[in-house]
Amino acid sequence: MDTGFCAWLFAISIATSTLGGALGMAGGIFIVPVLTIFGKVNIHTAVAVSLVSIIASSSSSASQFLKGGLTNIRVAIVLETATTLGAVTGVLLTGILPVQSLFLLFALVLFVSAWQMRVKPHGVIAATDIGARDWGRTLSLHSSYPDQPLGRDVFYHVGRVPLGLTLMYGAGFISALLGIGSGVLKIPAMDMALRLPIKVASATSNFMIGVTAAASGVAYLVRGDIDPLMAGPVALGSVLGALIGARLLTLISGEKLRLFFITVLILLGAQMLLSALGIDLVAAVKKHDF
Amino acid sequence: MTSDLARHPQLQRLLAKVLNGGTWLGTTAIALGLVIALIELQQAGLTTTGKRLVTIGITLFIFLPIFRVMLMLIFFIRDRDYQFCIITILVLVIIAMGATLGIYTTSGMHHLSFMN
Repeated sequence: MDTGFCAWLFAISIATSTLGGALGMAGGIFIVPVLTIFGKVNIHTAVAVSLVSIIASSSSSASQFLKGGLTNIRVAIVLETATTLGAVTGVLLTGILPVQSLFLLFALVLFVSAWQMRVKPHGVIAATDIGARDWGRTLSLHSSYPDQPLGRDVFYHVGRVPLGLTLMYGAGFISALLGIGSGVLKIPAMDMALRLPIKVASATSNFMIGVTAAASGVAYLVRGDIDPLMAGPVALGSVLGALIGARLLTLISGEKLRLFFITVLILLGAQMLLSALGIDLVAAVKKHDF
Repeated sequence: MTSDLARHPQLQRLLAKVLNGGTWLGTTAIALGLVIALIELQQAGLTTTGKRLVTIGITLFIFLPIFRVMLMLIFFIRDRDYQFCIITILVLVIIAMGATLGIYTTSGMHHLSFMN
């Protein structure tokens, strides 16, 4: 392991995490594609490295959301039974699934993420259709949160818990397999199934990322899959980048940044798709330069 | 009036402090470890102390969320909220299952290391 590569890892993590943070989302989705495409890192190693960094950045931002009273920790722990179980399933399958299928799945996640980013998330306030059985009442999940612009507490109901759990199982599975926070499945689960207000949804989803990633992270750790000299610089860069990004959030216009983000997602998705087929464009371009 | 709502202000404040403090502790250990590793690599060509410190930081990061689930369990026990005690224990059991799985399985990493 040379120091140049360590420095490159550190720099690239700051960059991706700043970009993510400036948009108010985690930059974790970029780590695996960048490491595998440009760093020529094995995808299993990249996934383990990425998991450490998403735990680090989610822990630091979860703290802010908790202080603001936005996180519903009861909803979180209920859903964590499903995300951790999904994560353990993912750990079980990483060694069995062919590497090509991981690249393919990653490409799909990148494309769906780009699709979801095309419109701003909309807030669903009150649930009317809670479902046949009111799990929210049985488990006392209904709550309220202090809304800053409105200047008052907003009450909300939690609906369709079984559907939420099913989607969360998938989110945990993908998180362990690909080393991401899997907002792709968490956003629809929180928004469509549980009908949480958007602020509560993003705070609660962020709170859950740490435990979900820890369930697989602890397995990768005891298995010896985590390379400290790679995971260290990436985790450090991600925490610093998230801090810088959060500052930039209020300074930069979101619209151009969002388009840039979508473009990057599509480009990385395209290369991951090609990687699944065994075609490496980056290497091909480099070869032509000489 | 707020007693039937899913809010635990005291626990949430504690969790915020623990997560924040833990992140800084882990970040500091990793930063320090990397600096030491850099010096060691330049002087001796290999790193032991630095690498170990980075590993401690990473382990701390991974155990931080597990620790916060344990803290939640303590609060649910204190509140005699047995329904949520069971749910929280279930989460801890699943995580322990993951760790056990890590001991007895291997990743694809070792036999597929030439894929990239």
